[in-house]
Amino acid sequence: MGTDRLIKIEPLAANPAAVKATITAEGPRGAGENRICGLDVGSTTCKYVLASGDGHSLAQAYERHNTKQAEKVLEFLVRLENQYHLTPGQDRIFFTGSGAGIIAPLVGGKVIQEVVAVASAVERLHPSVRFVSEIGGEDMKTIFLTGEGSAKSKQVLMQSACSGGTGTFIEKTARKLEIPLERLSKMRYQGYTLHKVSSKCGIFAEADANTLLKAGVSVEEIIASLFEAVVYQNLATLTRGNTPLPEILLLGGPNLFFTGLQEAWRHHLAKLWKERKVAMPEGKDPTSMIRVPDDALYYAAQGCVEAGFREPQSTAVYQGAGKLRWWIEEGQHEEKKKLGRGGLWKDPQELAAFKARYGNGKGNVKSGCGKDNHAAAAQRVLPPIGKLGPVVVGCDFGSTTAKAVCLSPQKDLLFSCYALSRGNPIEDAKSLFRQVRTALGEGELLALAITGYGKDLLNDILGADCPVVETIAHATAGLHFFPDADCICDVGGVDVKIMILNNGAVTDFRLNSQCSSGNGAFLQGVAERFQIPMNDMADRAFEARAMPQLSMDCGVFLQSDIVNQQRKGWQADEILAGLCTILPLNVWIYAGGLNNLKQVGKKYILQGGTHKNLAVVKTQADFILSKIPDAEVVVHPYSGEAGAIGAAIEKLAYKTRTSLDTVCHWCPVTCQRSFIDVELEGGKGREWSKVPLSSGWERVIVNNSCPKGLMEDLNEMKVVKAEIERTKNAFPNIADLVRKEAFRRATT
Amino acid sequence: MPFQTLRTWFERKPSVAPPPKDRSQLRVGIARVLNVWSTHQFWVAFLKELGISSENIVFSSDTSEEQGREFGKGRGTVDCCYPVKCISGHYGELVFGQKKKINILLSPMIHSLPSILHGHVVDTVTCTRVMAGPENIKAGFLKERDVFAENDIVYASPFVSLGDRHMVTEQLFTSLKDVFDLDLEETARAVQAGFQALDSFTTKARQRSRDILAWCAQNGKPCILVLARPYHMDPGIGHEIEGELQAHGYPILWLQYLPGDDDLVNWLFEEDVKTGRIKSPFDISDVWTSSYSSNTNEIMWGAKFATRCPWITCVIRLSSYECGMDQPTYTPSQKIVEATGTLYFKFGDLDSTKPGGGIKIRVETIVHYLSKYSEEIIQRKLGYLSPDCPLAVARRSDAAVST
Repeated sequence: MGTDRLIKIEPLAANPAAVKATITAEGPRGAGENRICGLDVGSTTCKYVLASGDGHSLAQAYERHNTKQAEKVLEFLVRLENQYHLTPGQDRIFFTGSGAGIIAPLVGGKVIQEVVAVASAVERLHPSVRFVSEIGGEDMKTIFLTGEGSAKSKQVLMQSACSGGTGTFIEKTARKLEIPLERLSKMRYQGYTLHKVSSKCGIFAEADANTLLKAGVSVEEIIASLFEAVVYQNLATLTRGNTPLPEILLLGGPNLFFTGLQEAWRHHLAKLWKERKVAMPEGKDPTSMIRVPDDALYYAAQGCVEAGFREPQSTAVYQGAGKLRWWIEEGQHEEKKKLGRGGLWKDPQELAAFKARYGNGKGNVKSGCGKDNHAAAAQRVLPPIGKLGPVVVGCDFGSTTAKAVCLSPQKDLLFSCYALSRGNPIEDAKSLFRQVRTALGEGELLALAITGYGKDLLNDILGADCPVVETIAHATAGLHFFPDADCICDVGGVDVKIMILNNGAVTDFRLNSQCSSGNGAFLQGVAERFQIPMNDMADRAFEARAMPQLSMDCGVFLQSDIVNQQRKGWQADEILAGLCTILPLNVWIYAGGLNNLKQVGKKYILQGGTHKNLAVVKTQADFILSKIPDAEVVVHPYSGEAGAIGAAIEKLAYKTRTSLDTVCHWCPVTCQRSFIDVELEGGKGREWSKVPLSSGWERVIVNNSCPKGLMEDLNEMKVVKAEIERTKNAFPNIADLVRKEAFRRATT
Repeated sequence: MPFQTLRTWFERKPSVAPPPKDRSQLRVGIARVLNVWSTHQFWVAFLKELGISSENIVFSSDTSEEQGREFGKGRGTVDCCYPVKCISGHYGELVFGQKKKINILLSPMIHSLPSILHGHVVDTVTCTRVMAGPENIKAGFLKERDVFAENDIVYASPFVSLGDRHMVTEQLFTSLKDVFDLDLEETARAVQAGFQALDSFTTKARQRSRDILAWCAQNGKPCILVLARPYHMDPGIGHEIEGELQAHGYPILWLQYLPGDDDLVNWLFEEDVKTGRIKSPFDISDVWTSSYSSNTNEIMWGAKFATRCPWITCVIRLSSYECGMDQPTYTPSQKIVEATGTLYFKFGDLDSTKPGGGIKIRVETIVHYLSKYSEEIIQRKLGYLSPDCPLAVARRSDAAVST
């Protein structure tokens, strides 16, 4: 998080007198009546502690600043002046935290490095503590303290470049799971089955949690797993070979608020101590050696006060809030203008012209432009229900909805519909096809093609002959509406697909589903953090009249950069605009690896959910046009599509079985599944099954709560494995030779 | 010990050598990591020649997150290179996870590697971070207490230049003489045995690759080449991504074991040698001038091989998160492969977690393109080459040989 986070710890021995003064806790503080205020300006919250000249605490507060750090500090200062008589020119003020650097000089304050501050407080309040973990909103720190008295030394480790192991890591996912903070704070760790959640990156953890949720894992278990991941990440990355020794102090908001996180710490540390044979003081239970003080939040602010006592009287004298107020009202804007760049548009006319072309959901093509008849047709809504002619049907069975479209043989879109998934894919299909049938009337169904995750499951059963991989379906769809396109850029929720076309054929294809920086989920995540609804995102971004220059990088670093920009005073709207601006860079250069757009071509189709955001469309168009001035950028009117030759659905008949024999035994949850058996020509049957199925039938398994349950039992696994083995034996892999033979010890 | 002496020892009759020391009770654990993935048999044969019995040579298991969690916990390093980071799990497993305790933990710092490109490139050294990986990880086991000593294990991490064979005996003798109570002569013998075993494995694997290509040539079928570093064969590092493609019915070649037979490489690189673009089929100076890194060099050569070889219709690039060695190779290797219309797909930023859901759809997409374009790619690439394909010839001569 920027260079100012580089840690420079002054050796304690440098000023033994000062050390002594602070260690003798209740001794004379060597100060007059002047009060000292410690302010901790963190990434999500601000805290203050006001102490009298003899070290007694007079007031403290902890509040979220909702990205308005400077404003919150001003509010605090006004309060302190009015209620507690903080006096300019007399009392002293010390700052710490990610926002301290900018604010402190404005009010005459001095910045104390965060870890130094925390360590100062700990040393005074808890002389027997050997290990401190402070988890913040977007950082984590550990302090190892060794030795005694003036020989005391500390080793500080800090991590603030990545969300793994921080408070945001938990909160981000909890927000997604719609768990209110009050409930989250009471949720437990002990006694729950733990699942694997990526401990490294908050963005992936969120995806993992989503998958678990879909698989029917309870929210309690997911949260417990998150606590596990945070502790694991702290221990794995921040201990670096040191063993945290008792006593342990847990600090920071997350450690204080989340009961489950404390439990996870206790569990892991006790286990670690046992493994590494760390002796406990006599008669002490390991868990009692791990303490979470009630005022765990205030340690950094408290530490500022402590450090303040060591400073000469003349430093950090409070100068009043006037300059800070000026900076909030005017200064920051001027500075921002110098640092940043203009908004997303040059002048209102340009924005209006852009909105006129791309606005209203499906706009994309300049009127009367060339031979884009298809696109024009697509914009006409023409379902004369019940009177469609012969149609080709394409279905997209996604994980939450199923969608179908009917096309005329001339490939005009005649009808589209969708059904929410209710767990039985066959019923979903039927519900979808009832709608299609109603629309179709007497019309003939010429062909059927399927895409989406359900394609393999349903392809045979629906009698469709053509399962289409999602990516290929997207490409076909794009080409259908814009046959002369050179490139299709699909930015979805979790992945970025770039398909490069040449004479109507896909010649290159880039898919990036590992990097979160360019995808919609990231943008959505940031908007959520600013509490901006998805639908308002574009408008808010357009409101910005200046924006920060964000770094083009991985999503996690980008997140830190956003905090950095917040610190400089940039507001949510402006950051969103900045984010929209770098999205094309992330999509094309970082995710797509396309440094030279010119070689791709001139006509670009933008599709996928993220392009519903007009601000993104604007930046995408501007980016492409800046590289290729005569490029044409269009937004695809629909996202799913297919086209193939197939069969009909009418004859579909099935029987369902739900019995003891259909219970899933892959894990202790033992889901009661149902088997749906469909009579199908060429069906392989399942003679080995507990519920045998003769050939000529196929089975679909439903009501399983996780993907494992799709496999009937061990017998099926054997059959499937044998089949894969057969293929693999027929088509060798040189790596298998290495894996099997290269480490062989016995002479053959 | 100067080399003249060494030579006289080589020339001595084995019967003159002193009776071998009894090392049959010594148990040696080897971390199955990094470039051990391409020098495996060297270490096995080296130890066996020293009298360590086969059952007393233990490799740590494949990398896995469980291994890291259970055995490597808290002994991690700051390294972003996962193939290095994961070693703490391997060490931990060798120290704590063995039913029968090991006496020696062997984790070589391999400075240079044997390479098919040896002599055609500037050098064949390894990545410095990879070479020094064992040092980095060892620190986590010594920081507070000497975990190795506590478990009566001798930690041995010889610095060794396997790419410069004449140096190996002296290097291993110097660093291991106290560990195994070695004398120079038996070290030389063990090194010789090691290289023999390694060469024999490599030859066998290259022949297997050639067989696959011959089968493809005779049946007009495509295959896939993996461009990756040797340790991506570790299921915990490469996540067996290529196995998913294999399950769709495509044979898989790895660049480490591409056939280097004269007839084949001469056929593939004929034009370039003739026009003077390169000096030999193994010359990569046309695409990669700073050819120091062994694995990087081979990746570039693999790309050149793939773009020419008709039946390799698709290249899969695997790369670990933030690999500084791979970084500059992405664009050139892709451009080389795609120059002939060969399909190229990259799975980058691999880390400890298998990139779950994404894999299936990406594999399906790749399979779609493979089935759609392979035939066309094979024909097009055949068109660039002379009709005298040695693989088609091989079929006839094979038949002749077998009679």
